[in-house]
Amino acid sequence: MAELDRSPARGETGIAPSPDGKEVIVKKVLASALAIVALALSPLAAQVPVNLHGRSADGANGVVAAAKPEASQVGVDILKKGGNAVDAAIATAFALGVLEPNASGVGGGGFMIIKLANMKEAVVVDFRECAPAASTPDMYKFDEKGKVIDNATFEGGLSVGVPGEVKGLLYAFDKFGSKKLSRAQVLQPAIDYAEKGYKVTVNLEQIIKDNFEKLKKFENGGAIYFDGGLPYELGATIKNPDYAKTLKAVAAKGADAIYKGEIAKAIVDEVRKRGGILSLEDLANYQVKERKPVVGTYRGYTIMSVPPASSGGTHLVELLNIMENFDLAKTGEGTPATGHLWAEAMKLVFADRSKYMADTDFVQVPLKGLASKAYAKELAALIAADKSMPSATAGDPSKYESGSTTHLSVMDKAGNMVAITKSINYFFGSGVVVPGWGIIMNDHMDDFVPKPGSANSVEPGKRPLSSMSPTLVLDPKGRSFMTLGSPGATRIFPTVAQVISNIVDHGMSVQEAILAPRYFQMASGKLNVEGRVPINTYNALGPLGHELALKLDWDAYFGGVHAVLYDYDAKMLRGGADPRRDGQAAAY
Amino acid sequence: MKRSLLSLLAILALAAGLAAQSPAYNLKSPIASKPAFLSSAGQSADVEMVKVLLDRSKIPFKADAQAKAPALAASGAKTLVLAIGGSSKGLGAAGISAEAELERVKAVIAEAKRLGMKVIGLHVGGEARRGELSDKFILAALPACDYFIVVADGNKDGLFTKLCSERKIALDAVEKISKAGDPLAKAFK
Repeated sequence: MAELDRSPARGETGIAPSPDGKEVIVKKVLASALAIVALALSPLAAQVPVNLHGRSADGANGVVAAAKPEASQVGVDILKKGGNAVDAAIATAFALGVLEPNASGVGGGGFMIIKLANMKEAVVVDFRECAPAASTPDMYKFDEKGKVIDNATFEGGLSVGVPGEVKGLLYAFDKFGSKKLSRAQVLQPAIDYAEKGYKVTVNLEQIIKDNFEKLKKFENGGAIYFDGGLPYELGATIKNPDYAKTLKAVAAKGADAIYKGEIAKAIVDEVRKRGGILSLEDLANYQVKERKPVVGTYRGYTIMSVPPASSGGTHLVELLNIMENFDLAKTGEGTPATGHLWAEAMKLVFADRSKYMADTDFVQVPLKGLASKAYAKELAALIAADKSMPSATAGDPSKYESGSTTHLSVMDKAGNMVAITKSINYFFGSGVVVPGWGIIMNDHMDDFVPKPGSANSVEPGKRPLSSMSPTLVLDPKGRSFMTLGSPGATRIFPTVAQVISNIVDHGMSVQEAILAPRYFQMASGKLNVEGRVPINTYNALGPLGHELALKLDWDAYFGGVHAVLYDYDAKMLRGGADPRRDGQAAAY
Repeated sequence: MKRSLLSLLAILALAAGLAAQSPAYNLKSPIASKPAFLSSAGQSADVEMVKVLLDRSKIPFKADAQAKAPALAASGAKTLVLAIGGSSKGLGAAGISAEAELERVKAVIAEAKRLGMKVIGLHVGGEARRGELSDKFILAALPACDYFIVVADGNKDGLFTKLCSERKIALDAVEKISKAGDPLAKAFK
């Protein structure tokens, strides 16, 4: 066996004892002092608990809630310069592409919902990726075990959809921005962070470590996110000057900088080098779609969210419609009865999701029926208070969607509201990183069903099904009330629904509503329960027939909600952000 | 008393200075001979990070995350380095079950002992690389190690301290993965 240390910190100082005992006392004092010093100097003393403090922010003029404190501050600074909520949201969104590179960026896409105070109706900007023109329903090959060969749906060039982020963000900026700020002004903070760098957090450190293989395999990613071959660790500074160059080009030339010319060619070359089928025409032909929101109500509050190609908004409304049939204020917060109702309602909604949902540009989806109160009442009648239904569908797809997405919310004192959820899908997307430009390409082709025959099968130009649910809420008087959303794949709309319910049914503040433990249940399988659910509730859910999966106390699995709420009594905007990731709101 | 206080301050300053300059490791002298053979215990990506650490430390080595026992003798290596940590993704990619991986690891360790090789274990995955799956491999591999290096975050519950203390295995904890290379290099003659 190896030689073991006998260090002073273990109690031996080397001072000889004296007959009168004084030296013994000094020896003990010194030993204790040295032990304290050793502990203080030792990295072992470092503990990194979830920090619950400082996540929320209140302001009379404007609040931005995003997945990184620096990004929220970027948005607030834009508001201070005279920008409106849209300007702030776009600046924050570009900054997140730098500060949270694992989740979103120029190589990705998403959805945005905007309601300016002077707009009668909210508008949805759909900048979700679409399938390249050369894609086909049978483009993915399977091995004998039924697994997609080489993980091609989520790794490498064939997993890359046509990115929509830059066209989408600039479309919103040009059409709904204040026109008081230039494109260059809203992009500059993101450029600065890409050039000067940002600190690695506990969260980002772990994400880089978890994706070490992918970043190493696609070496351009490792060149940015590794320090001499090892992952950047806590407190280190990451810079991405190539990405800064990309953003500068966008600032100078607009969306054409990405979708035509030099950068477009670099994107196509790298994606094709990694086995993909993306073409210059795909990029040039990409179109942002402006859509009408899905609108529902929940106990008098108006819920506005995104329609397909995201399933999120429709199923958010469906889920809340089902829950409206139960008096949750009476069944109580955190009780077995309330948890059971959420689980059962989610089963029913996910059964519908697997059966009906797809891109409505390609497939007929019964949107009105899914969002109707009458249908929800029928579904609610299927829920028994004392017994869990084993499965709400015979064929529940167990397809995995990644939770690496980001959400940001902005509201200003005029009541202008913006919610953006955007993503590159899996952490660090497809792994394909465009050399010289620092762009991480999405792997959203994985959100299609990789075989022919499904409403959500691959078709050229089709947008893959999403769960993203950027959502706006009006209060019963029709006033701007709340903007919210979350990452978290299929957990997104159930999480958003629970946060809305926490505020409406249980009277929580926006931050309390975000902190509260969450549930998640697919159409069948285990009920996922966040670790802080009361023990009595946990114990009571099993006998109702639920098979429980206990998650961590603060589990990013359940998303990362960022929300802003208008407190009319206090005339104050209140932002809440999620400690499950790096969320922090900023205000002024 | 005044002299005692002055002595105390001097020692504190010395301790702080030493800590800032050169970490004091529990392994006081090199135990391992070159070259090394690197394998995984649990098929996590951590083996790739240990490769980088060995490279940086200029320790000659061969690596095979899925090496079978006979590979050790054929390699001519004098020291077995194990990157310990379970990954269901890694096991899936390797096409083996956790049970089969455990059997492979045990066989590799037994062969290393038979060949008189020293065994150095590393757990660099931190807290995220703990839990039921990883702990199986830790419990299987650690007792056979002659020296162990852990990234401190992975030892929050004191598991490594306890296991190493019980077996009188020298354990060094480092703050970050990048700091694991130094004690690893110093473990080699």
